[in-house]
Amino acid sequence: MQDAKDSFYMALRTRLVAINPARTILLRSALRPGILVEEAEAPFAQLPTDVFVLRWLGLGVDQDLPSSMVAAECEVLYSTLGTQSFGGLDRGRALSEMDEELVGMLTPFWTPKFNYATQPATQMLTKVFWDEPVFGPLTALRDRLSRTARVVVYSYEEGSELAG
Amino acid sequence: MAATFYLAPAPVVRRVRGYFAPVNRGMATPVLFDPAEMGRFSLDSPPAPWVSLGWIRNFARKAASKTAPILTGIPAAVLEQTRETLDAQVSFQFLSWTKLTMALATGSQHMNLLVPAAGSAPQADGGVAAPAVVIQSGASATLLPLASADAAQFSAGQVVSVDVDYTGQTGFVGSPVSGAYVKTALTDVDYARRVTFNVATVASVSTSAPAGLTLAGALPGGIPATGMKVQALAGFVDREGGSFFQEWSALFVMEGAQGERIFFHYPRLQSMGSAAEAVSPLAGKQSGTLERVMLAGDFRALPVTDPLDGERVVCYRSYLPAS
Repeated sequence: MQDAKDSFYMALRTRLVAINPARTILLRSALRPGILVEEAEAPFAQLPTDVFVLRWLGLGVDQDLPSSMVAAECEVLYSTLGTQSFGGLDRGRALSEMDEELVGMLTPFWTPKFNYATQPATQMLTKVFWDEPVFGPLTALRDRLSRTARVVVYSYEEGSELAG
Repeated sequence: MAATFYLAPAPVVRRVRGYFAPVNRGMATPVLFDPAEMGRFSLDSPPAPWVSLGWIRNFARKAASKTAPILTGIPAAVLEQTRETLDAQVSFQFLSWTKLTMALATGSQHMNLLVPAAGSAPQADGGVAAPAVVIQSGASATLLPLASADAAQFSAGQVVSVDVDYTGQTGFVGSPVSGAYVKTALTDVDYARRVTFNVATVASVSTSAPAGLTLAGALPGGIPATGMKVQALAGFVDREGGSFFQEWSALFVMEGAQGERIFFHYPRLQSMGSAAEAVSPLAGKQSGTLERVMLAGDFRALPVTDPLDGERVVCYRSYLPAS
């Protein structure tokens, strides 16, 4: 499943750069696109704002198939305080912008599966695909507006993955 | 030392495995399965000529035979029973889309979509095909030697069809499995390759000596016969209607958690319904919109005469205790 998780993240990251190249984050002295995988970073005391954070949750395996299908649930968390120049009064507008960017990043609903453990990454035989996102309600905590969206990501296990 | 024994409860199974073998249509000869001799075969590598169909789902069989009482006396009482009709049906869903599963799940002829020639007029089941290429000497079931220029027409991952040129023959057509019954002679030189089950996926192509195609799996027909040619496929097609019925020998296996096995052997099984699909939503915590499309197969069992005692039967059910 790691290849599918990596491919999903890389696809969203590439698409985000195309949709909004200005959405970036300075992390460990590196300026990166504004999307990260929570489990692949140092723990956060509080999630950064204006950035998409991918959190992997549930896992299911369907083995009654010619190739085992793995389904992993991904929660995308994002929040914003708005901008300083507007005193945070544009935080609703900023969250709507992130909603639209997420929809754009998830379309089309598939991406080729790559093995990123190799250098350079090698393309595998199958594609990673996912269902439509289910958006949670907007939550407000003081001046921070947040939302989560959940999407189930599917992939078929290939022989090379099963062999480890 | 006291002997130990185990009183077996009802088997607990997870899935049903399906295997089919081609009936020789011309000779009307089904493939028989001897569970006593072959019943412990590896489910992943069935004995020839049985071909695994991958996973199947919702296996259901229905006995449609009818019995009637013979009455005698006043008041009438049942003296004995007689079997009026002999009929049985099987239905299930395939979890793979392949040449074989598509063919089995359609009530009619199943054809290969040959890659068309440049500029050929569109046809619902494939227009005039790009010319087939001759297989050179030294072929095997997994290696097709070709001229370099011919090999360059193919690419890895393509599916290819291997069979002879159609020369006007009538009756059952296609080797090693009959894919069609031709009533009157046709003019399409590629017709045998349109209906043949002798298809395989190209694993790699070599255009330098020795040029040819290496196949990912063995051709069902084994080593290509002299005169056979190869053509690339774009896909598969079947039609609703028509008069041809697929007929196969079928074997279904349920393996219990203790290693016991239940076999259902249908020597002659003909597809009964028209091409149909079943959809099931992908399981998930969310109510998503993704659905898996499965081929739905409905079959009628035809009788064979058991050489043991001359009885006409449609299905053998066997049970092999855990060993």
